[in-house]
Amino acid sequence: MSKVTYVEHDGTATEIDLQDGWTLMQGATMNGIDGIEGECGGSCSCATCHCYVEEDKLDLLPPMGEIEDEMLECVVSERRPNSRLSCQIKMSPALDGIVVELPEAQS
Amino acid sequence: MFQFNPYSPAVDADPFPFYKRLRDDYPAFWSTEANMWVLSRHADILTALNDWETYSSASGNLMDEFPGRAGATLGTTDPPRHDRLRALIQKAVTKRALDHIVEPTRAVTNAHLDAIAGEESFDFVTDVSSKITVDLMVYLFNLPKDGQDIMRDKAVLMVQSDPTTRSKGPEHMAAYKWMTEYAANLIAERKKAPGEDLMSQFITAEIDGEKLDDREVQMTVTTLIMAGIESLSGFLTMFALNLADHPEARRQLVANPELIPDAMEESLRFNTSAQRFKRCLKKDVELHGETLKAGDFVCLAYGAGNRDERRFEDPDIYNIARKPRGHLGFGGGVHACLGTAIARLATKIIFEEFLKRVPEYSRVQEQLPWMPSTTFRSPTRLDLRIG
Ligand code: HEM
Ligand code: FES
Repeated sequence: MSKVTYVEHDGTATEIDLQDGWTLMQGATMNGIDGIEGECGGSCSCATCHCYVEEDKLDLLPPMGEIEDEMLECVVSERRPNSRLSCQIKMSPALDGIVVELPEAQS
Repeated sequence: MFQFNPYSPAVDADPFPFYKRLRDDYPAFWSTEANMWVLSRHADILTALNDWETYSSASGNLMDEFPGRAGATLGTTDPPRHDRLRALIQKAVTKRALDHIVEPTRAVTNAHLDAIAGEESFDFVTDVSSKITVDLMVYLFNLPKDGQDIMRDKAVLMVQSDPTTRSKGPEHMAAYKWMTEYAANLIAERKKAPGEDLMSQFITAEIDGEKLDDREVQMTVTTLIMAGIESLSGFLTMFALNLADHPEARRQLVANPELIPDAMEESLRFNTSAQRFKRCLKKDVELHGETLKAGDFVCLAYGAGNRDERRFEDPDIYNIARKPRGHLGFGGGVHACLGTAIARLATKIIFEEFLKRVPEYSRVQEQLPWMPSTTFRSPTRLDLRIG
């Protein structure tokens, strides 16, 4: 178990314990965080699990795949340098304490 | 000796007492009749769904799989191939791409409700849910208008199994064959004259610069038609049934149609129409004192997980205020239903119109005829009395 904090667009922050190996998208949808939709169930094909990752954790993340990069072109809210799809980020002890911000809209 | 036989008519009619025994006493159960393990607790099913590397779909996901389907469709491939296939279709079916179905759905709903106006009773399956769903799929996939009734009959037959032989019977295989040929014709037509529709996009799509192979396209189109028609009409029927059995809930929806989406989610949980799918193990798994071996099939009993008291309080109570987050009515993980947004939007519109025009109704049959299927659960006929 490691900790992740989701900060919704209105500023509401929710910290949850997430099993290592599960994705940040799963953590959000299972815990009622509405700012993440995850329509495609994590198959990297809907871009409704967009999040902004805190800068100093960016380097610890698995590198972005080509498909994720393509999908990020389709996000509804602004794409920023720290944009990632939360279904492509698996929790691990190295990411313990990670904070992600959620965009204004996913769809 | 406890048995769980997903082919038995008793399970078609009422799987829930069996599920309770499974969850409480046999959380990792070997079913000799199904020739696979059965997982019934919510947490175990969720773990399996989140781990496609162990619980693979590439050897098939239907309890009784069709020849040639494993490895060739969205539902029967693993990532990364699965994700590439899914990406081709997903953008056409996300919430933000579906505004165009609202008015057509409302129109076909009202057309079919006009046909039962003035009747004392009607069969929800034949007169309402099947007709609307087929019209909607014809619109969505731009299918030819003639032969619709046959298509619906074949889609429904395809998903059934024979309870005595415990496999697909000749009529089910014939229906499958019919649908694959229907798909092949459709593909040939679209190749000649591609349109803007979902099917055309898929047929002409490429992955890594390569066209999809013909079998993949044919099997995926076959599955889309089957999944679209049978899953949606089966669910609509279950929803209508729940609202017949729970008049208080129905009256709340009539008074406040904004509650329809919440009630829909509760029906997906409470009477899960897509009851069971399967996976194949890629490695050994130790679970609840049993060793599940690599190569074994595992049934994920979504309908059982949705009644798990370890996850949902008072699971046997139908409560439209529950908001059952994390229910398994659409499965989960990378294979979570592709049609989720379509199904949610269509159900909302169809029931807004239906409850406006038929606010008071009750069941005619005491015993319902249940479809013989190892995967889906819904009655084949639902007679409703108006008023
Ligand atoms: C209320 C109606 C529906 C229900 C309850 C339902 C249920 C499900 C479930 C439980 C799965 C997961 C299968 C598995 O675990 O292997 C699934 C997958 C799927 N469904 Fe649906 N479905 C519905 C409507 C639709 C519609 C309308 C379509 C098409 C337009 C559709 C297309 C699919 C496809 C293509 C998959 C495979 C997705 C993948 O593996 O990536 N479904 N559905
Ligand atoms: S959940 Fe669909 S792209 Fe992440």
